[in-house]
Amino acid sequence: MEAELARYLAHRLEGASEVTISNLSRIPGGASRETWRFDASWEVGGVAQSEGFIVRKDPPASLVESDRAVEYAFYGAFEGTSVPVPRMRWLEEEASHLGAPFFIMERIDGCEANTRALQTPAFDASRDGVARRFYAILAEIGRLPWESSPIAAVMGAPAPGDCWKRELGYWEGMIDANELSPQPIARAAIRWLRANPPPPPAHVGPVHGDYRVGNFLYTREGEIRAILDWEMAHLGDPLEDLAWSFMELWEWGRSGYPGGIVLTEDAIRYYEEAAGTTVDRDALHWWLVFSCVKGQGIWLTGARSFQEGRSRELIHAFTSHNLINTQDEAILRAMGRGA
Amino acid sequence: MRPDPPKVLMGVAVALMADVAPGLSAPFAMQSLGIAAGLLGMAAEEFDRAASRLVEEDRALVVLFERAAPVVASQGLASRLREAAARLVGVDLRVSALQRDNDVLRALLLELHVAIEAQPGADARALEEAIWDELRESTRRRHFSGVR
Repeated sequence: MEAELARYLAHRLEGASEVTISNLSRIPGGASRETWRFDASWEVGGVAQSEGFIVRKDPPASLVESDRAVEYAFYGAFEGTSVPVPRMRWLEEEASHLGAPFFIMERIDGCEANTRALQTPAFDASRDGVARRFYAILAEIGRLPWESSPIAAVMGAPAPGDCWKRELGYWEGMIDANELSPQPIARAAIRWLRANPPPPPAHVGPVHGDYRVGNFLYTREGEIRAILDWEMAHLGDPLEDLAWSFMELWEWGRSGYPGGIVLTEDAIRYYEEAAGTTVDRDALHWWLVFSCVKGQGIWLTGARSFQEGRSRELIHAFTSHNLINTQDEAILRAMGRGA
Repeated sequence: MRPDPPKVLMGVAVALMADVAPGLSAPFAMQSLGIAAGLLGMAAEEFDRAASRLVEEDRALVVLFERAAPVVASQGLASRLREAAARLVGVDLRVSALQRDNDVLRALLLELHVAIEAQPGADARALEEAIWDELRESTRRRHFSGVR
């Protein structure tokens, strides 16, 4: 892929010649898009230049079916705001360059995204600060004036009262399309969600869609440098992201601690302080049950793509073996039906 | 005598981690190898228990359906609940065949759950609780050791 990237950048970088690509390697994770890192060097008017990049490329099949243009727009919407994101460089819808559509963004070095490192003693002094900042950023995401951002060009907002219907309908559809066996637990949760809808949000705002520990870059000092993985971003009820961050699967082995870093009540307080609102606990609970259903929709999508041979990503087989039942257990607990 | 499949699968998983992983340097390759080893471990566990798990669950579902048949208001559903026991006399013991039978019974459980939720009365509520008990038990049967 080095030669293809070099050819592409030679056209995209103004006045560039002698473009060379080095250190190309695939980054672990990225179950929805292939994520690769590489260094590029080139000359402009005889002056040597270089930069580190990330390319996010569409896979043959994915855990989530998402629109790269939407992801690109959400990243772009937060450039220059208090929500840290990498700078977007190029969106390429044409598959001929790398064999699939992709986008390229700047690479932020010197950070990590490891989910469990934040639980180690090295972060004892900064862990609470990370959590506080994590939920303050979430509040900032939800109140972005998106109407004047790139988001407005790629999607419209649902009416406040329709946020839950749109999301639940989408993920129920994903379960309909992808389940390999009947899902009596997820279906019971969906019936409960339809029978007990949440109140409309005070405002409709950007929703990251996968806001959790594991999807941001942080430094050894505990500074959050970038919020990543916006592939499920949309407009909706900002509470959706808060609830998603509380899902059991993201506790990383530390029960009762979202992301393994903060008590749930402290997280809610940090969010409330930053957002200047009081979280409706019943609505939050609705979105937590919804999050479990959405999670099941994701795992079932990966399971079917692997079963049908559309994906050879082992992560899809692993999540279906490992997480579908775990997600069912989480649904039962969220509904007060756990063991 | 030869090593049984779970031992073989676990042996491959251990060999991958002990003999192959140390020679890898690319993070993505290391992650893929770790996932492959984990999958082999789960496949080993499932190989040994799958038939037993499916048969145990099918039997539990049929018992539940026999209890439900006189309670449900729909006579059509009641008939199908009574007929479900026929699923237990299949002669094809391949896991794929047992899974197909289980899918049919779990779909019927789902239909029963929907019907009983909408039905008033103490008998219906008690049956609903029994369905939730079975759903909880179904997750226990599918649990992998080593997964919290």
